[in-house]
Amino acid sequence: MRNVLAIARKELSIYFTTPWAYIVFTFMTGIASFFFVSLIQTFKQVQDMARAFGWARLPQDFSTYRNLTDGVVVQLWGVVMFVTLFLAPFLSMRLFAEEKKQKTFELMMTLPVRPMEIVLGKYLGGLGVICATLALTIVFPLAIALFGSGESGSAIEWSTVLLGYGGLLLWGAACMAVGMLVSSLTESQMLAACLTFAVLLPWMLLRNLAQSAEEPLRSVVSYLSFDAQLQNMIKGVLDLKTLVFFGSVILFCVVLTHRAVEARRWA
Amino acid sequence: MIEARGLTKRYRDRVAVDHLTFAVNEGEILGFLGPNGAGKTTTMKILTGSLPASEGSAKIAGYDVFEAPLEIKRRIGYLPEFPPLYPEMTVAAYLRFVATLKGVAARQMRSEVDRVAALTGISEVMGRVIQNLSKGFRQRVGVAQALLGSPPVLILDEPTEGLDPTQRADLRALIKSLAGKHTVILSTHILPEVTMTCEKVLIIHQGKLVAFDEIGNLASIYGPGAVLSLEEIFIKLTAA
Repeated sequence: MRNVLAIARKELSIYFTTPWAYIVFTFMTGIASFFFVSLIQTFKQVQDMARAFGWARLPQDFSTYRNLTDGVVVQLWGVVMFVTLFLAPFLSMRLFAEEKKQKTFELMMTLPVRPMEIVLGKYLGGLGVICATLALTIVFPLAIALFGSGESGSAIEWSTVLLGYGGLLLWGAACMAVGMLVSSLTESQMLAACLTFAVLLPWMLLRNLAQSAEEPLRSVVSYLSFDAQLQNMIKGVLDLKTLVFFGSVILFCVVLTHRAVEARRWA
Repeated sequence: MIEARGLTKRYRDRVAVDHLTFAVNEGEILGFLGPNGAGKTTTMKILTGSLPASEGSAKIAGYDVFEAPLEIKRRIGYLPEFPPLYPEMTVAAYLRFVATLKGVAARQMRSEVDRVAALTGISEVMGRVIQNLSKGFRQRVGVAQALLGSPPVLILDEPTEGLDPTQRADLRALIKSLAGKHTVILSTHILPEVTMTCEKVLIIHQGKLVAFDEIGNLASIYGPGAVLSLEEIFIKLTAA
């Protein structure tokens, strides 16, 4: 356990003393802020229209804008989810690929550390940085809560928001797990980032891609899509299925990474 | 302390190490010599458990390298050909990190790190980020990490690489002082250094062992009373 924490601490120290993580933070806050502002504006417009014409006369889609939680925060979480997909590969790419390139992997292989400890330590470090990235976005619901007001007292439903946020954290954790696995298979960081992205994007869009397939394949493939699994969480519904799904993905990636690290010993 | 028996490493159609058999007793310093590409680094990697052998066995302190790798790793300090440093870390943070993974207790961490820093002469750069250090300092940080935890066996691959003459002399003195308490295998191209620090020498050529003896006895391969320098012996043996 001590080794796992030491490795995690080392990864975090490198993340926070080099530019990459900060570039990722900037992108996350920048894009999220942009969408936040535009969502608020849309919300305002719809509310004004509703006040003028009444809710019954507006198209069905606009009913999401009835309150701040569904209209702004939930949609913002959808945006953040997509941004995470793009940013996580840049964070996870260096986990193993850099070590191999710098020849420090040999150090890991000759120190009395078990391969599983290396994998878990690095994963923990990666988790830390992705949670820091996502933590930046909690500012937005907080801002609404502080400055907004709703009919029933608080401007937003925290339970919905926090569940959606939990879904985001799970998603970030899964992205890092996939990224770590890909990173352990190559020496080039760029390649690791590209491959991670190439794995995550189709996986996310699997449901859309499956639309034209026939039944049972369509159901199976849609079930496997990240997008489908996250929908409920984002909307504020706690589904055990989602937890199991992401837990399995993370476990699967960690085990495979362990195999890849072990394989180096028998090269 | 260190035993290799029939150690062989094959890469597809090339044999890097060919049935190498030797033994190093506790407290000895063995000089590992050979032309470039002879198999020195490969042998060292096999002994430290970072590369598996195709055939043969190796034992360190009685533990088999393939069956008990964790036990081996607890007992060795290894300096690879390219010092394994993290350029973004400071020297102090790096040494603390390696010390933790080597099992140095938290209470002794500070004194242990200071100890190896004093031994290798890097105390003044503890706060510097590694990528800003000169080659000489980086090499010495590499040696320092091998010394952490005072392991009974030290395997050093070209330890004086990149050091200036004064630093080389210091490192030689350091290695000599380790004799008796530590078992050392060091590989180098600088033959005078081998004569100065090592008692025994192993010369490897194209993966095969061509000489393994005390320095004084080596010359006698060429007839009684022959007086040849180590360089001449080396060139003769690796001429093929």
